[in-house]
Amino acid sequence: MNKLFHSVKLIEEKCKGCSKCMNNCPMEAVRIKNSKAFVIEEKCIDCGECIKVCPYNAHDIDRNYLEDIQKYKIKVAVPSTTLYAQFGEYIDPGVIHGALLKLGFDEVYEQTYACDIVAEITKKEIEKTKKPAISLVCPSIARLVSINYPSLIENTIKVLTPIEVAANLIREKYEKAGYKYEDVGIFFLTPCAVWLTSLKHSSLNKNPDINGVIAIKDIYSKLLKEIKNDDTQKQDVNNMSFTGLSVVVPGGLCKSINSNNYITVDGVKNVIKVLDEVESGKLKDVDLIEPFACSGGCLGGSFLVENPYNARRLLDKCIKDTNFTYSFDELSDYYMQQFVENVRNIKFSNQKLAEDFVSAVKKMKYMNELVNTLPGTDCGRCGSPSCKAFAEDVVRGLAHVEDCKYINLGGDVNEG
Amino acid sequence: MMNNEILKLHYDIVKGDYIRGGEASSNIKKALMQLGVDNAIIRRVSVACYEAEINIVIHSLGGYMEMKIYEDAVEIIASDVGPGISDVGLAMTVGYSTATQGAREMGFGAGMGLPNIKNNCDELKIDSTEGGNTTITMKIYFK
Repeated sequence: MNKLFHSVKLIEEKCKGCSKCMNNCPMEAVRIKNSKAFVIEEKCIDCGECIKVCPYNAHDIDRNYLEDIQKYKIKVAVPSTTLYAQFGEYIDPGVIHGALLKLGFDEVYEQTYACDIVAEITKKEIEKTKKPAISLVCPSIARLVSINYPSLIENTIKVLTPIEVAANLIREKYEKAGYKYEDVGIFFLTPCAVWLTSLKHSSLNKNPDINGVIAIKDIYSKLLKEIKNDDTQKQDVNNMSFTGLSVVVPGGLCKSINSNNYITVDGVKNVIKVLDEVESGKLKDVDLIEPFACSGGCLGGSFLVENPYNARRLLDKCIKDTNFTYSFDELSDYYMQQFVENVRNIKFSNQKLAEDFVSAVKKMKYMNELVNTLPGTDCGRCGSPSCKAFAEDVVRGLAHVEDCKYINLGGDVNEG
Repeated sequence: MMNNEILKLHYDIVKGDYIRGGEASSNIKKALMQLGVDNAIIRRVSVACYEAEINIVIHSLGGYMEMKIYEDAVEIIASDVGPGISDVGLAMTVGYSTATQGAREMGFGAGMGLPNIKNNCDELKIDSTEGGNTTITMKIYFK
């Protein structure tokens, strides 16, 4: 089995075993063992829901901090465009860039150019892809497809994400200017947890384009101070594109590529419903499905500060104020080769109960018999999110039958 | 061909329940993934199952689906208690539908159900009597 890499970590001292994360995980990936939460890596898609719901901040993420940028001669920040909508009121993106420079960055790379490249490639790829085409701009969705929908792989659009494209362009620029690889540190300012996993994953075997990922919430207060500071120099952001800005919100990508035959869906549970339909052979007339793991799109990310609804208002204002867009009538073949196809490597994890078919059948038989003896109340006291999940855990060796309190009591719940 | 079934799963289906219609197919799909069945096979089973399940929801008075696993194949039996198909040949025609106006308004009844099932199965058997039960048996081989 592939060793999967995950970013969500549990801080054991903080976890009280309250089961909030277990009950809210859309993938049923969390268990409570010995009064502590425990994530089944094969099922986790790094959506960050556990981080959002935990009352004790026990779920955390390995990430980079501002100190980490000091290692590099040239420090480049690539802010997610969600950053422009985090300050309660409308702040000129140029001012936000100025504030980032004061935090110690040498360059703030504005991402919308990369977003427009991704949109244009998506547009071209839709033509070649089985309908409905599915966008994987959200890496959690890429994980979801690889775990639950391996048969939909022909429907997915294999293009790098905007941040990967951006980092690639930045590397190229500095290389041409004569800088060595290790001189330049590129840091993504992220709205959510999944990018840590996805970027580290893609960088396991070579020099990564992106050196680190910094959570927007971690630099928020420092940024806010600089934004309010009068001597912060406003930067020029005239080349910001409104199509690129809108890729982080549901419907943004579809509008960027001028599609009016699309579905946009947010929230993992809703995405599952739509993808189930696709797998049943429905929605074939739809050109593109644009799914986001977080409700509200990237604006609903767990590392953001502003509530996603007000953030939407602020981002919309930003979009409205921008009259510019890159138009790639003819996207160069170079981009097409560099950012498409095998570069987006999706590894499937399988859900087999056993390696060989006959053993898997045996386990399933036992699992189904077990489900019938369980109370069916999904009380969660065993540490699994539902009776069905518990039965599966038992046959997978993750739980013992005796963990069910009701089986222990002799079966009948109504009498217990 | 004389292989005995090695696993059987049973799902009841309620007539007119458009909201939960599709659940049995979802569960069947999940089970096949847990058994490690090939993705292309799972996709074919998913499509066939879903159509059969929705047929029961739209047209019948209720019924059930059963998945039987053999060493070399999966068999899905979709059975309901009426009203039966009066002309099986006609029902297999692309575009032919007896769906009610209500069902059509919900986006069903395009007349693709049985043709779609046929396209995704290796073997298909339809037993139906007018005014009586209908049983559709679909078989898809693993190799």
